[in-house]
Amino acid sequence: MASIELHDLIKHYKQGATTVKAVDGISLTIEAGEFVSIVGRSGSGKTTTLDLLGLLLRPTSGQIMLDGMDTGKLRDGARADLRGKKIGFVFQDFNLLPGLNAIENVMLPLRYHKDGKDGKARAAALLDEVGLKDRMRHRPDEMSGGEKQRVAIARSLINRPSLVLGDEPTGEVDSETSQQIVALMRRMNRERGVTFILVTHDTDVAAQTDRLIRLKDGKVLSDVRSTPDQKFLSGADLQGVVA
Amino acid sequence: MEIIRNLTRRKLRNILTISGIVIGVLALVTMGAMAEKFNALLSGGATYFGSNVQVADSSGGAIGAFGGGLLTLDRVAALEKVDGVAAAFPDVSVTAKPGSTNTVSFGIPDYISNLDPRANDYSAFKLHIAQGRDLNPNATGEVVLGSDFATEFKKNVGNTIDLPIRAKDAPPDFVNHTFSVVGILAKTQTAPDTGAYVSLADSQMLLKETLPASIRNSIDTTKLVNGATVYGKPGVDLDKLADKINAEVPGVKATKPSVIVASFNSGSAIFTAITTGAALIALVVGGLSVINTMLMAVTERVREIGLKKAVGAKVGHILREYLLEAMLIGGIGGGIGLLLGWGLTSLINAATASSNLTLFLLTWRLVIVAVLFSVGLGAVAGIIPALRASRMDPVRALRAA
Repeated sequence: MASIELHDLIKHYKQGATTVKAVDGISLTIEAGEFVSIVGRSGSGKTTTLDLLGLLLRPTSGQIMLDGMDTGKLRDGARADLRGKKIGFVFQDFNLLPGLNAIENVMLPLRYHKDGKDGKARAAALLDEVGLKDRMRHRPDEMSGGEKQRVAIARSLINRPSLVLGDEPTGEVDSETSQQIVALMRRMNRERGVTFILVTHDTDVAAQTDRLIRLKDGKVLSDVRSTPDQKFLSGADLQGVVA
Repeated sequence: MEIIRNLTRRKLRNILTISGIVIGVLALVTMGAMAEKFNALLSGGATYFGSNVQVADSSGGAIGAFGGGLLTLDRVAALEKVDGVAAAFPDVSVTAKPGSTNTVSFGIPDYISNLDPRANDYSAFKLHIAQGRDLNPNATGEVVLGSDFATEFKKNVGNTIDLPIRAKDAPPDFVNHTFSVVGILAKTQTAPDTGAYVSLADSQMLLKETLPASIRNSIDTTKLVNGATVYGKPGVDLDKLADKINAEVPGVKATKPSVIVASFNSGSAIFTAITTGAALIALVVGGLSVINTMLMAVTERVREIGLKKAVGAKVGHILREYLLEAMLIGGIGGGIGLLLGWGLTSLINAATASSNLTLFLLTWRLVIVAVLFSVGLGAVAGIIPALRASRMDPVRALRAA
């Protein structure tokens, strides 16, 4: 089943007298379990697309189908519910709550959508999986960038979502940590069958995904998949393609 | 848990805000306790004087027991013959500390009065014996003390006390008499607390000694009283009874109870206004600082709010979190203010007990009002910041700098 279907998605903003066509007619189908990157220059519409996919924004027109459900008809409360149940988020600057320790941060989505009684055990298991078994009681200000992002990945998976959206997930960490973060997401994608969509301008990150969607001026410029015998080229080689 | 930790994230700011509420609630509690004490004093008076008719010499004041000309006992007997009168009791009252310089008091100054235990059967204001027994109205040399009176002079049942109390600079011809304490009254928070009660004969003896020496021995004080308290038969309108007494008994002045009660109630209204005033100041000062603190917190935590919305928090979730935080600030401030107020009023009451002055009465009613008030204050002050937080657009909140 398709995880996400976008039909002629349009998002226009009024900015003074001019209309900004942030997303200008995108149609896409992303299957369940895909590992996708969306790339493009700033202003290409990739962040707006991510916000639309995350049900954080409503489109000007067009349709977003999530697991076969038309999200356009949902009221704000139902969209919040759907975000809590089906979508996980990983942000560039982690967005962990400074007052909570690692396991409490992982459990934050459960505060708004209780999903069974084993929340704490699942949070602990997830932290173990992302390699932070010994850091569960640490606060964000006691952790490195890579550790924080691994907490954020665990948090994005706590409610067993079908889709995780990454908004420049490696933007704040060094290249080595970046590799580890993407590898971790790739592992979660394979093991759990969760769809990952990463918005990035880091070509090294894009090179590790299975499908690369390039946006320009709010439109899809290209949409290519790697095959088992033809992987994407390395980041350096992709430079020209992305830029 | 997160809410408590949030409060510790900006310690100084939250301590200052809580301090504002502490001061407000402290003001509310101390002013309120003072008002409660005075309301108790006045409502006891209204209950007592609303259930009888005060009769004085026609030249005297409204309440016989507190000054005015003297009445003869045959006038009291005549009162009992008026149709509708159930009983009439003579009243004799003298100051307990003659010559004392402390004549201006916040409460009712110590006094010595006669007490007939049978009056309790008629009065709407009942006196209860806490220790010992009732006064024997025919005995001499016995005294029943009001609770503050007993505390002031550290007397228990079985002790003796010399009345009136000798002042330090008493004249050489000052006389007093030894009474044995047979009973102590339960605390009433009003007039009887500062009284010492003796039989009619003893009170008349004390009254005689207050008269100038030149006339002291030329009149028969056993026939003299300050006034009388008249109780009506069940169903008798006391205001009309007062009119009837004035018409039928010469030489006396009966005051309508409604007049006395109205004056007590107007006093009560003033103290209620003081409490309300203190509460309003607390509301303005505490409330504004809570609003300010919470608005700053919301501004600082824009991204957190965005994140919470992204992970599924609805408007109601965010609203509740911020309202609870504001209520917690109010509740902590209120709790500390209440404790400080309790400590302060207790300390002052203890310090002034020896001079027979009770300024504060911290009632449960006041405690509950203070707690509800401070938590409610937080809730009201938290509404605007909480609404601002809950209505935030998640996209803008997440990308805020």
